[in-house]
Amino acid sequence: MRVLIGVVAVGIVVAAGAAAFVYSGVYDIAATDQHTAPLFWLLKTTMRRAIEHHAREVHVPPLANPAVIAKGRTLFVAHCSRCHGAPGVAPEAFALGLRPTPANLANTGIEWQPSELYWAIKHGMKLTGMPAWEFRLADDDVWAIVAYIQRMPYESPREFRERLAASASRAAPAQPSSIAVDHSASHVATASGGNARQGRHLLLQYGCDVCHEIPGVVGASMPVGPPLDHMGLHSFIGGVLPNTRDNMVRWIRTPQTFVPGGAMPDLGVPDRDALDIAAYLESLR
Amino acid sequence: MLNLRIVALSIALLVGGCSDPSLHPHADGDAERGRALLDQYGCSGCHRIPGVRAATGIIGPSLDRLGRRVYIAGVAVNSPEELARWIRDPQAVKPGTAMPNAHVSEQDAHDIVAYLYALR
Repeated sequence: MRVLIGVVAVGIVVAAGAAAFVYSGVYDIAATDQHTAPLFWLLKTTMRRAIEHHAREVHVPPLANPAVIAKGRTLFVAHCSRCHGAPGVAPEAFALGLRPTPANLANTGIEWQPSELYWAIKHGMKLTGMPAWEFRLADDDVWAIVAYIQRMPYESPREFRERLAASASRAAPAQPSSIAVDHSASHVATASGGNARQGRHLLLQYGCDVCHEIPGVVGASMPVGPPLDHMGLHSFIGGVLPNTRDNMVRWIRTPQTFVPGGAMPDLGVPDRDALDIAAYLESLR
Repeated sequence: MLNLRIVALSIALLVGGCSDPSLHPHADGDAERGRALLDQYGCSGCHRIPGVRAATGIIGPSLDRLGRRVYIAGVAVNSPEELARWIRDPQAVKPGTAMPNAHVSEQDAHDIVAYLYALR
């Protein structure tokens, strides 16, 4: 009996504490702040397991038909790339402000089963910003997009552009990032300055975590591009630029200038923010 | 080192159910020979490569988890064929890259790819 009273008392205290936490409003829901690592793990694992569970009875049709893949590529550009980007194409500016940042699907195409992709596209995902397409796209179209996402990691950015153009006799090809690249306000960054702490914060704001493994940024563990650990020690940036602060700012602002057609898109990072990001990357040793 | 990885992977599979993603296909080729070749061709001078003792270079990116990487050098897809092409003639894949042509033979590139693909 005593034990029971104790358990009930603890339960009441925990519930009261939880209620106090919720009603106090102290929890920071700002999309600009990263999750703590345990919460990120909890959210991501819950999402992944739920998709696996719910997709287990989805029947997958044949997806290897090139015509289906081509259709999926066009549909992907029409409906998905504004948030997810495409090979060498940045998401639009608003999408970089979403938290979680919409995934780079070249990696998802490797890691997820087609049934899981189908389920996620069709039903969407609460609290992620991923909409449900069930009442917006025909089932065949959803499967075509799945077919393309599965194909995406096996096409270079150049092949993506060429094939999209080839199948787009009427639809216009993807515009490489319509975001407001702030060329007018650009000025030459100085070799010094830059706030590394702010830079770490900004890596999340520009979606760098979607493709790179970055120490200090929760959830940044994606193997789409190279890991950025020890970046401050590396001799080169993107394999083409000597690793100086100035060059890093230039690279972050307009990587397509240095590797035209590369997978890393111009993301419209202003000079000031690029300088802070460069300062953080330089601190990774 | 590799054995440790296999043990770790097995444990991860047991703990995490069957959720290990279907990754790039494993490349055939002699991975053990590939590991030795990474040193012979001087790759270790520029790259950090798990399992290759001398590979502590910091000129280029780490090759850790290369078997899971989506793109090579930011321009090519990460298939065994493309990775071998990149290793044999990087300048053809990405003109102006800092990675030099080390005159790696076809067979050697094949084995190096097998080793790098085991890094997950």
